[in-house]
Amino acid sequence: MVDILFIGLSLSSILLLVALGLAVTYGAMGIINMAHGEMVMIGAYTAVMAKIWLGLGLIASIPLAFAVTALAGLAIERLVVRRLYGRLLDTLLATWGIAILLQQAIRLEFGLSFLGIHIAGLGSGLQNVPVPAALQGTVRLLGHDFNAYRIFIVAMTAVLAVATWAVMYRTALGMKVRAIIRNPQMAAACGIAVARTNALTFALGSGLAGVAGVLMAGFKTVAPDMGATLVVDGFMVVVTGGVGSLLGTVAASGLLGEFNALVAMASNDIIGRAAVFAVVIGVILLKPAGLFTFKGR
Amino acid sequence: MAGPLANYRFWAYAGLAVLLLALPLVGDEFWLNRVAKYLCYGMLGAAVALTWGYAGVLNLGQGLFFGIGAYAMAMGLKLKSYTSLQQGSDQPVPDFMLWNAQPGAPTELCCITPGSWLWLPFQWQWTGVIVAVVLPVLLAGIMGRIIFGQRISGVFVSIITLALVLLVRLVVVDAQPLTNGFNGLTDLGWLTVAGHEFDPYAKGTYYLVAVALILVLGLSRILVATRAGTILQATRDSDTRALYLGYDVPAYQTFFFAVSAGIAGLAGMLYVIVSEFASPSFLELSFSITMVVWAAVGGRGSILGAAVGAILINMIEARVSETEALVEAWKAIIGLLFVVTVIYLPKGLSGLAHDGIARLRMRRPALRLKEEAGQ
Amino acid sequence: MNLNRRKFLTTTATAGAALAAPGYLRRAMAAGEPIQVGALYSQTGGLSVVEKMLAAGVRMAAEEINAAGGVMGRPIEVLVEDGASDPKTYAEKAQKLVIRDRVSTVFGCHTSASRKAVLPIFERRGAMLFYQTHYEGFECSPNVVYSGAVPNQQLGNYLPWILETLGKKKVFIVGSNYVYPREMAKVSKGLIEAGGAEWVADEYLELGHSEWAVMVNKIKDSGADVVLSNVVGDSIISFYREFINQGLSHEEIPICATVTSEIEIAAMGPEYAAGSYTSFPYFMSLDTPANHSFIERYRAFVGDPQATTYHSLEAAYFQVFLWKQAVEASGDITAEAIREGVRGQEYAAPGGEVKIDEDNLHCWLTPRIGQWQADGQSKIVDEYPAPIKPLPYAAYGETADNLFCTREGLDSSKL
Repeated sequence: MVDILFIGLSLSSILLLVALGLAVTYGAMGIINMAHGEMVMIGAYTAVMAKIWLGLGLIASIPLAFAVTALAGLAIERLVVRRLYGRLLDTLLATWGIAILLQQAIRLEFGLSFLGIHIAGLGSGLQNVPVPAALQGTVRLLGHDFNAYRIFIVAMTAVLAVATWAVMYRTALGMKVRAIIRNPQMAAACGIAVARTNALTFALGSGLAGVAGVLMAGFKTVAPDMGATLVVDGFMVVVTGGVGSLLGTVAASGLLGEFNALVAMASNDIIGRAAVFAVVIGVILLKPAGLFTFKGR
Repeated sequence: MAGPLANYRFWAYAGLAVLLLALPLVGDEFWLNRVAKYLCYGMLGAAVALTWGYAGVLNLGQGLFFGIGAYAMAMGLKLKSYTSLQQGSDQPVPDFMLWNAQPGAPTELCCITPGSWLWLPFQWQWTGVIVAVVLPVLLAGIMGRIIFGQRISGVFVSIITLALVLLVRLVVVDAQPLTNGFNGLTDLGWLTVAGHEFDPYAKGTYYLVAVALILVLGLSRILVATRAGTILQATRDSDTRALYLGYDVPAYQTFFFAVSAGIAGLAGMLYVIVSEFASPSFLELSFSITMVVWAAVGGRGSILGAAVGAILINMIEARVSETEALVEAWKAIIGLLFVVTVIYLPKGLSGLAHDGIARLRMRRPALRLKEEAGQ
Repeated sequence: MNLNRRKFLTTTATAGAALAAPGYLRRAMAAGEPIQVGALYSQTGGLSVVEKMLAAGVRMAAEEINAAGGVMGRPIEVLVEDGASDPKTYAEKAQKLVIRDRVSTVFGCHTSASRKAVLPIFERRGAMLFYQTHYEGFECSPNVVYSGAVPNQQLGNYLPWILETLGKKKVFIVGSNYVYPREMAKVSKGLIEAGGAEWVADEYLELGHSEWAVMVNKIKDSGADVVLSNVVGDSIISFYREFINQGLSHEEIPICATVTSEIEIAAMGPEYAAGSYTSFPYFMSLDTPANHSFIERYRAFVGDPQATTYHSLEAAYFQVFLWKQAVEASGDITAEAIREGVRGQEYAAPGGEVKIDEDNLHCWLTPRIGQWQADGQSKIVDEYPAPIKPLPYAAYGETADNLFCTREGLDSSKL
């Protein structure tokens, strides 16, 4: 039973890793960023490239991936998302286009493959990142064997969740963001640079996805289309938890992850996944605003 | 008498109808078969435009209804396939059921695999035809009543429909004894109506699809011009206001949601007749989103535009993807095209056409005067 | 019931082709004019990583044949089409090749789903499909030449070897959720029970699923001493990684796979698979001059000095030579001629002798078992002395003396 609860916790932490960034961009900015999964993918590729070209290990490439994806996020916000504020469904569609573009950029090695230039680490092939020796194998705790890398992911997710909370609730930026969530016009009237704050928020959300990507690279195959399914799961978590509620996102990921693990163990993985979809549908139908929410906007 | 520009919508529909009906004069059988598939996609574009453009409801699970239509028809046609008669029973039994049968199970449709009796009604091919349209309508009706009754709107509807299509896909893939899982239903027979067999490559089949598309487009267009359609558009722009005006908003939304589902089911049914297979890939999320792309590029606010968008994109895609150098680049182009359309052309190509015609009319005030005098 | 419409259709289609033949042949017979064949593989989408290799194998074979003077003095022209990892696109492109381009032979498809989607087009239009991937059997189409392994060639030696040589008694069967793994599981169960062992579980995961924590935990708890894996695609990589990361080892509970190849081993990092087994007719590590030469030529062809080869790639390559021999044997390129010409053709493939069966158009192959080493290559621990006969209906009781699938087609009364 402890094993299963731990696996559930591990599934939850992976869901939360993806959902954290979405909670920030969707919850705070009203942007449905379908390219969020591709930010995860870019983070993972950053780890691959850092290994090949710079000799950096998995942990050392975390800050690098944060920087790369945050910059990419900033660029996307400037070029596309900025023009679509207030058009929720349009952001979904435009960012879906961006997602395809980013996937193809990796597959075509930013177009260089047309010129016959090949960059190691890019292209449509599968990549992988070795896990540091210290995180391989299992750790024995309380009479049970736990996968060391999964413990690391759970710990990192906790750190990131706390860090995100601290940014949102303990910094000037966070205060501005929350003001914008409640009432953008009023926030602007109070002298908050809404455009600049939004850009930074989007960069933060993307950066979080980049970190998630590095951590995922340790146990998933790195491929151009790895992000596509992640974003759907991430959205379900955010919507189930309640838009704009960080606590709700954390709780929802915990709930869905544990639920998935328990059902999968009791029956099989396919039913486990189907059950998660069913729970999400049920929650939205019964509590359209999400499990944890407050009145805003 | 209004000039051609005054009534350009009608002429656009009429033009497309004539074009579609005249097409067999120029194309070969291969090309007609391919176009017929794209006409099915055109119906999907129209179905998306109907809910998204006119009701403001973005259904990210339209593939569910397409899939139901496809599977219902495919079940009917599978039982007419000669392989189904080869399995050592007097009655047709789909070949894949034999692989999935428990040892010792009788080779009868009633009981070869658990649940195989669900196939029994499909021995009559019209069951497939009817279920293909009626089941999506019923399902959408129930979904609509619950979703819109709860006053769920916007992105939440999208997430529910999306989760539902993924859920159904999992179930279909898992229920191998009933659905042949991931491989889908292949090796189908042909639809036979009054002794006429619909060979997928024959002109008759093309006409079946073309006429269906023309009817779908025409009827949808008439439907949105009715009072119900106008009220629906009012709910899209402000459902609270429409509610306060005393309209039963959920009922209107549900009605159009169900109509759109019926169209998607019909499209799935015709697609199977033309392409001779049904596959769980119809239920993949990417397919449902692709339909939205067609509608967005063609113009979500125009049923005709969305349908034409779907047909055109697919024709261009087919051509480009057969040029080896462009295979990968094409996807990037689609992505870029989409971003640009959403930002700069939110009304799609049909919006562009509308604006162009409006500008033409401005330049010809005489025409406008005549038109006003005529009314 | 006796109205065999497919047969009727095929005959009419062939008759149609025969009527059209004079003009076609006149055009085709012009000296040196290329023979067009199709290569239908995914160039885009999730499966493109593997399928691009298969397309390269076909193109390389065609190039080598052309360099050696072509087929009956005519060069081969390969029309590559993109199946886009989607059965819908596969069907469309197959139509294009068979109906528009009028090729009589297409090399292609990788998944069973794509093969099933294109099959009606080949059968009704009278064209030949050469299919190289190992698959689940239960097919007897006169329009497909199968150069990959069927279950009896992958499992027939494998399970007895696992039970006897490795001395395993409790088998955990796991696979991706579709027909190939399920059929493999069905055949395996029979062999396991016949060998006096037991299977403790038969579990499936969605294709492309990459979260293995729960499944590996089940393996741990099941008390199994060996895992039979019919997992396909990217899932393989996350499976092996999770397996090691949860503290299991191939020394105690080896994974014995039917799909895991050099490709996946390279992508997961060889250390995760070292000590596990796979059953294939071909391994990259085969130490023969023919194989060394093949690997070298393939690497030069794709311009990658590190490129890996594997079972399906080898089959994709040698099937083109079998086709060439079929054309030369019958002196014609119609589907009918190729079907008859290919029966019994033998070829010295990189992995050894292969032969197309006279009865069922499947391929005689040599079963081999490889143990994966730390360098990502395999060590062959068991192999048959000679190729064995393919039996696509082995799961239903087909034996070499009692064939279900013959020249005349499937004898459904035996099912």
